[in-house]
Amino acid sequence: MIISRISRFISNFDNLLALFAGACVVIAVLLILSLPLPYAENQLYPKSLNAGSPLNPYDRGGPPFTQADIVVQYPENSPYAGYVTAYLTPLSGFMAAHTLYLGTTIVAHPGGILDEILYNTRGLDTVVESTILFIAFGIAAFLFRKGS
Amino acid sequence: MSSVGGATLAHLPFGDIVIYITPFTLTLFLLALVFTILVIASRPERQLDITFGADRIITKETGLTEMRFRRFMAIACGLASMGAMLTGDVFDFALFTSLVGITNVGIVAAVKSRHVQNAAFQYGLVAMAGTVPLFGAAAMVAATTGTLSMLELAKEATSVVPFAVKAFLVLGVMGEGMAPFYAAKAEMFRAPGAPYVIMCSLSSLLIFLRVIEVVLTV
Repeated sequence: MIISRISRFISNFDNLLALFAGACVVIAVLLILSLPLPYAENQLYPKSLNAGSPLNPYDRGGPPFTQADIVVQYPENSPYAGYVTAYLTPLSGFMAAHTLYLGTTIVAHPGGILDEILYNTRGLDTVVESTILFIAFGIAAFLFRKGS
Repeated sequence: MSSVGGATLAHLPFGDIVIYITPFTLTLFLLALVFTILVIASRPERQLDITFGADRIITKETGLTEMRFRRFMAIACGLASMGAMLTGDVFDFALFTSLVGITNVGIVAAVKSRHVQNAAFQYGLVAMAGTVPLFGAAAMVAATTGTLSMLELAKEATSVVPFAVKAFLVLGVMGEGMAPFYAAKAEMFRAPGAPYVIMCSLSSLLIFLRVIEVVLTV
């Protein structure tokens, strides 16, 4: 019977990866067939690159400590959005003044750019992201120590 | 908003990520909460190996560190499932789902058995591959509709998210929620994995139920 053969195939967990890969291929073909997908011109988080700004791509504009104009989904939930765009620590300020690439080092030095959209209006995302990293390091550490 | 989950009972705003509570999501949330409390309260099962032909019974002890680690992973898995049940944002849902996936890898990988470790490795590959369609679908939702909020997407009269993007999202959740296949095949349910391994099955079931609601709503 075909059902028992399918059942026997998926009862071996070495085959499940191939099964998932097959599903990926089928859905990817479906996705390619449905191209081109429409692009909504009215984007919630528009990205405008100013090639001369050292804070690229996190430059949301505005002078320090005044509210910049930031597009958010629910402005009533983030009344302070737009206030922290230009805060730089002395080290970050030095780097911003001398190079054009401070925005690419967002994780490499403390007290750098606070991205408005990432940390102000989508704060829960950053919490979950760092939790995923923490869990991954926890698993790696446990498996590494288990050997000894 | 007209939603398959029923009328919206409450909103919980976190900036642009607005958590909305409907009878459907509330039920799933309570289920995850009850099982997380059960995991906190329960102790690991001891497996008995009986040798046939000889009068010998071996009790397999679960070490304290292993028990602690697996309990931690099970509780984290419960919290991640609770988040995935309530969240009202497509990207946030993708993040919570991948958190469920990686905690499931942790639960399976903690068992000291070669067979189970092989299963955990294979599941880790699938969960890793599953993040590509998962986050790809979230990115495509943002590109095709301009927003990520499920509340905004539900306001549209007809669905604006293309069918293929929804299929991609479901594919990603399938990859993350494949843990029970591996856990069951590695014979973990009556093995030293119990009872924490039950969180694998429960969280997979919950994220599958939720992704159906998400796909029907947006």
